[in-house]
This record gives sequence, structure tokens and C-alpha cells, in this order.
Amino acid sequence: MGLRTGIRTGLIAAIVTIFLILIGVHMLMGRLLQSWFYVPAHWPGVWLMVVLLGLWAGSRAVGQMKARSWGNTLLAGASAGIIQGALVGAALYLLASITQAGVDLRAWLTQMSQESIAALTLGLAPLPAAGFIGGVLLVSAVAGAAWREWRLRVHAARLARGERTVSLRERLLEIPAVAQVSSNPLSRRVLMGVFMVLLLIAPFFLGQYWNYNLGTVGIYVILGLGLNIVVGMAGLLDLGYVAFFAVGAYTMALLTAPQPHHIQMSFWLALPIGVLLAAIAGILLGIPVLRMRGDYLAIVTLGFGEIIRILSKSDVLTGFTGGPRGVRNVGHPVLFGKDIGNEFYFFYFILIGVILAIIITRRLEHSRVGRAWRAMREDEKVAQAMGIYTLKYKLMAFAMGAAMAGFSGAIFASRNSFTGPEDFVLLVSINVLALVIVGGMGSIPGVILGAFVLKGLPEILRELEDYRVLVFGALLVVMMIVRPQGLWPASRPQLERPRPEEEALEEAPAELVEGEVGS
Amino acid sequence: MKERKVSLGLLLRLGIGLLVLAFFAYRFYGVLARQAYGAETWARLAISGLIIGSVYAVIALGYTLVYGILFMINFAHGEVMMIGAFAGYFVLEAFAASGFSARQPVLAILITFLAGMTVSMLVGISLERIAYRPLRGAPRLVPLISAIGASIFLQNAAQLMFGSMRRTYSNPPALERNVGWVLDVAGKPVSITYTGVLTFAFSVVLMIGLYLLVQRTRLGRAMRAVAENKEAAALMGVDVDRVIANTFAISGVLAGAAGVMWGLHNGIIYHYVGFIPGLKAFTAAVLGGIGNIPGAMLGGIVLGIAESLAPAVLDMPFQLKDVLAFAVLVLVLIFRPTGILGEVLAEEKV
Repeated sequence: MGLRTGIRTGLIAAIVTIFLILIGVHMLMGRLLQSWFYVPAHWPGVWLMVVLLGLWAGSRAVGQMKARSWGNTLLAGASAGIIQGALVGAALYLLASITQAGVDLRAWLTQMSQESIAALTLGLAPLPAAGFIGGVLLVSAVAGAAWREWRLRVHAARLARGERTVSLRERLLEIPAVAQVSSNPLSRRVLMGVFMVLLLIAPFFLGQYWNYNLGTVGIYVILGLGLNIVVGMAGLLDLGYVAFFAVGAYTMALLTAPQPHHIQMSFWLALPIGVLLAAIAGILLGIPVLRMRGDYLAIVTLGFGEIIRILSKSDVLTGFTGGPRGVRNVGHPVLFGKDIGNEFYFFYFILIGVILAIIITRRLEHSRVGRAWRAMREDEKVAQAMGIYTLKYKLMAFAMGAAMAGFSGAIFASRNSFTGPEDFVLLVSINVLALVIVGGMGSIPGVILGAFVLKGLPEILRELEDYRVLVFGALLVVMMIVRPQGLWPASRPQLERPRPEEEALEEAPAELVEGEVGS
Repeated sequence: MKERKVSLGLLLRLGIGLLVLAFFAYRFYGVLARQAYGAETWARLAISGLIIGSVYAVIALGYTLVYGILFMINFAHGEVMMIGAFAGYFVLEAFAASGFSARQPVLAILITFLAGMTVSMLVGISLERIAYRPLRGAPRLVPLISAIGASIFLQNAAQLMFGSMRRTYSNPPALERNVGWVLDVAGKPVSITYTGVLTFAFSVVLMIGLYLLVQRTRLGRAMRAVAENKEAAALMGVDVDRVIANTFAISGVLAGAAGVMWGLHNGIIYHYVGFIPGLKAFTAAVLGGIGNIPGAMLGGIVLGIAESLAPAVLDMPFQLKDVLAFAVLVLVLIFRPTGILGEVLAEEKV
């Protein structure tokens, strides 16, 4: 029993380990430890990753086991470790001996530099190096198995004694002061106020770089709030959201820049025009796709986004949009004769935009329109039967979402003084979608949290830059499996006190629980 | 007298349709009147469209199979194809370096295809196991988002592993690109490349093979049963999970073959190479009627020829080829959302 789970887990762990080595995560770990904990060399980080993967393999093997005994644990851990160690060792042997023969592997596998392989072989010849890494994996897998078994036993013993496991949250609430603050509705407002004041004074203390990045986070909050209306509230999956961002940005750029049209309108006039044009574009896209099923909608909007990008790049529109070179010298906002186009002022400008967007979204959410959207999201047919004119509300959702995207696009173009086709790649849509989903579909604080986590954190962890999008992809999958309601789920107004058996279901947003099953 | 009701939507659609047709006719008339292209150009475009279309058809089959059973767009399908193309690339590199592909070109190509198909199959199976199976029974948006995540993940994993440079397939000397038989059309030469013939022929073989598999074998019957009704199939003793895993395996095999064909015929691959063909193949599947296997084949070939000829017919720059392909998707979804041959789906979908 233990043997089979061990072998299977070992195989999976080996594939994961080899994959992580091939994409260079071991070197990343090494660099991270160097820069954060001032470790003098990169090998501790590299080997920390190897040991952790071994521990994980052993622990996972035990977790999957059904019959529990120390003998089985040893068997599972050892077999997982042997398989993982042997396969990873073999892969390392291959890589190291090819490199030793003088072939530069980077021509095929870009991360496999001499240095990167040397970090794993530790300067040994290929065969002993393979043996060494295999041994390390075996030992750590057995250790991981033993640790997991011990944990499970402690847990079981605690259950047998009738002790309840206490979560961190419950433990915190037992402290009187915490309980008092968290039960007081005023305390939330005070916390919000403190947060706002911190945000207001932050630009005075942060440098240009961080003001710029905070501004970017703000722009993504607006984008996220807009997409949240379309995806989260109305349940229309729009993958071409970047198109409206592009409409806003190009409107601003073409109306205010000296080239290619020489209109040079004022920023304050171009901004509402950009928002309006984006909203119109939203309606124009909305009309043909209204009757489509959800998944067709996703792919059509995706295609639409690509069309906009290809068109803005192509020769057909070079005269009109500046083609692949983009538009330079986009106008800045001028207030009382003063150019307020630097990061510092833009931060406040974006903050005002964010607050406006939050107010609008909140008002919409609790209005007749918001309720209609939610009804449509839950079940379109029932919504229609209840007298909701779904076409109208879908168009409204598209227009509202697009207007917010147009607003942030216009600001984006003006702040960068430049805009071009490469600002509007599909990745922008994916970024916004990811932050809405990670934060919590349909939840305003969730979107803000998501923007900080997905746009702000990577700026702090610059070493992770290359791996950011990879992590986004993995995060989308993991969130869907583990926590589809997001980090900060939307709370729905509770008209009735839920009965005890329904309380468990309340955790997940209704569309995930009540959605048709098995269709 | 009975009053006939004409809905606004129908009128609108008719209007748009007439406008599109009029535009089409106007541009085409212009091209013909100017005699912008000779017969040999049209022949060349049609042939290249047919070849690319057959690749689209093979990819589209993967979309249609999965959609027919799970009602889900396997967004990462294009990436599965890309990984198959990379697997074939590495095998061919090794063969070219060792001189094997010069000595045994047939065997080399065969092994290349096998490698691409096997790797893609494994990726397809793991994809289903990791990203889709835990979400069975969840609302439709959830697996779709998971699929988008998987697609981004695979794309970036390939970029991190293999770098973002464009790589050229090292074809065996007997199967050089852009070399082939030369036909004589209206006094001008039109070449039919060997890679093109191989691509087309192998696509046809794969399509026939798939058709027989679905119609004649036990697994095919189980697949049809699961597509019809999962619960009933399970009650009849069909292992639904295994059938779904097998479906992903088959669609992975097809994607891998398409990837290798793409590499052999077009020559250039990189981490993003699966995205646009994947999108177009989905368009092809919708065009033919999703869930419909002959429909996917027809849709692929029609789309291939259409996108190849459209820029010439409409007198537009060839840069806009992709835009026209997406326009086809939008038009199909507006005018005939069930596709040319009609959808073959058991349950009504919302």
C-alpha cells in the first residue's frame, strides 16, 4: 500500500523537481536568499529548494496513504525518495555530462547555464553529483514522511482527547481588545480613515519610483473595478477588456499629442471624450455578442481585443494611429496654468479616480441595476422571467465597464506621455482578470486587495519578475480549485438569518453553489 | 389579415448581413476588374489555404471532442500543440546532429511525429487531471478560467525553459521546406511543397482514424455515451472519468501531430506559436458546428482557405489575415451560431 503511493508520489515529485530546475527556480531561490537574508553564496537557497521538494514528496506520500503505520510510512517515504532521487539524479547526470562535454545547453534550454548546473553538481563529476542529489532527496523524503506521520498522530491524539482544533482567527478573537474592536462597526471606519490618511501623505515620503508604482496599482484598481462590473456582477466573461483601455488611451493620445493629428486639445476635454468613446465601443461590441453563451463570449471578446491591437499596429491605420511606433508627447493635465503631469500629482489624480470608481460601483451594486445584474448572473432565464430586460442590462454592464477602462486608459497614456500597440497586449486583460478573480469576483475590497497583491507585490519582489506571469497562470488554476470565491469574497446582503445547515454554503458566493451542476 | 411580426433583431441582422455582402462584392469586383492577381496567385493562395486549413482542422477536432463531452472550451489546447511542436523540434535537432535524418528520413519523421504526439498526450492528460477534473460540476465560468490559467502557465513555462527566440525546424534533407512539385497554371509555375503534401495527407489520415475510432470502437461508443448523458452512461457501467481522460489524451495526440506538422511546414516555432492557431482552430470548430466531428474538419479547411483568400478578395493587406479570421468567427456567431453542419450536443447549454 505504502509502496504504490510512494512510487506514484515519487514520480510526480520528480517531474515537478526537474521542471523547476529547468525553468531555473533553484537559482532564483539562491538569489532570493542572497538578497533578503544576506546569505553570502547562492548554494544555500538552491539546496533549500531541493530539500523542501524532498520533504514535500515524503509528506505527500504519507498524506495519500490509507493504512497508517510507521512501517508503511517508512516504505512510502523511502520509495518516494528513491524514485524522486533516481529520476532527478539521472536528469542531472545527463545535463552535467553534456555540459562537461563542452556543449552550451543554453541554445536549447535557456536557464541551463554552466553556473546553474554547477550549483547543483557542486563541482563534482556528473556521476557522484547525481548520487549526491539523489541521496539528499531520499533523506529529506524520509524525513518529510516521518514528520507528516508524527503530525497526523498528534492531531489524531488531540481529537481522541476531545480537544477542538482552534484556528488562528478564533484565537485572536479570544483576546478581549481584539474582540471589542472587531465587533465595533466604528472601528472599521477608523481603520479605513487611518489607511486613507496614510495613502494621502504617502507620496511626500515615497520617491518618484514608488509614486509611479502606486499610481499603476491605482490604475489597475480602476480597471479591476470596471471588469468587476462586467465579470463579477453581470457574469459576462470579457477577455478583450484591454480593447477599451486602448480606446481611452488612443483617444487621449490622438487628441492631445502634436503628432500625428495636431489637434492638441486640453487634457480636461480629452478625458471625458475618451471615457465616452470607450463606453460607445463597449456598446458596439456588446450588440453582436449579446445573445452568445458565456464561453463563446469569452473567445469573441478575446478575438476583438486582438483585432484592436493588430489594427493599431498595421499599416492600414498608420496614418491615423501612428502605427507600431505609437504616439509620443501625449498631453499632460494643466491646472491653474501649472503642468501637473508628474508622478506626484498623478498619484492624487488617480486616487480621486479610484474613490469615484468605488463610489459608482457601490451605488450601482445596491441599486436596481446591480440587483438585475446579479439576477442575470445567477440565472439568465429566471431573470428574464422576472421581467428583467437582459439585453439592456448587459449593454449597461458593458458600457460601464468600458467607461472605467477608458478613463484609466486616458490617464495611463497621459502619465506615460506615450502610447503604442504594445501597451495593449492580451496580458493586460489577463492581469486584470487575475486580480479580479484572486481578490474575489463581485467584491470591491477584493479587487483593491487583488490589485495590491498582483500589481504591487511584484514591484517589491523584483527578483520574481520573470516568473510573475507563470505564477499568475498557476494562481488562476489554484484559486479556481481551492478558493473560487477569492481572497476577500463579496458579502451579500442577508435578508434572512441563514439556518445553521446553510451557513456552510454562505462562504461561497451563490453563483458557485447554486450553479447548474453537471451540465 | 394576419399581421406578420418582424423582430428588430432579425432586421438588424439582415441589414448587417446585406452590408457585409455588399462590401464583399464591391471589393471583389474591384480586384477582378483591375486583374490584380493572375490565376497562378489564386491557385497558390488556395493551396496554401488548404494545407493550413487541414492543420486547423486537426486542432479543431481536439476542441470539438472536449467541448462535446465537457461543454468547456479547452483554452490551453493551443499550448498543448505548441509543446508537441517543441518536442518534435528537439527530436529533429538530435537526428540532424547525428546524421540520422539524412540516412533514414522516413523513420526520422515517423519518430518525430510519435515524440510530438506522445508528449502532447501526456500534457493533455495531466492538464485534465490537475486543472479540470477537480472542477467537474462547477459552474461553467470556473473551468474556463482555470483553462485560461493553464494556458498562460504552459506558455510561460515554455518561454522560461526554451527562451523566447524563434527556432527553425531542421527538416530532413529529403523534406526541405519550399521544395516540391511544380504545376503549370496558365503558363506560370505553382509549386506544391512536399511538406504541404505530407501535412495534408497526414491530416486526412488522422481525421479518418478519429472518425473510425469514435464510430467503430468500444472507446468511441463510450465517448458518445458520455457526451449524450454522463449519469446514464455511468449507470450503464461506463467509467466516465476514464473516458474523459482518454478524450483529453486523443485531443492531445491530435494537437501534438498538428504541432509537428506546423513546425515541418511553416518552419518557425516559439513559445507563443500555439495561441493564434488555437484561436483559429476554435473558430473552425464553431464554424463547423461545435461537438460535430465532420464539422470541425470542414470548418478547419473552410477557414484556412477563407483566411488565405480573403485579403486578396477584399483587396486588403495580407497583414490583416488574422483580423479577417476573427471577423469570420464574429460573423458566424451572429448569423449561424450553430455552425455549418449544426451542433451535435446532447444537452441544451445556456
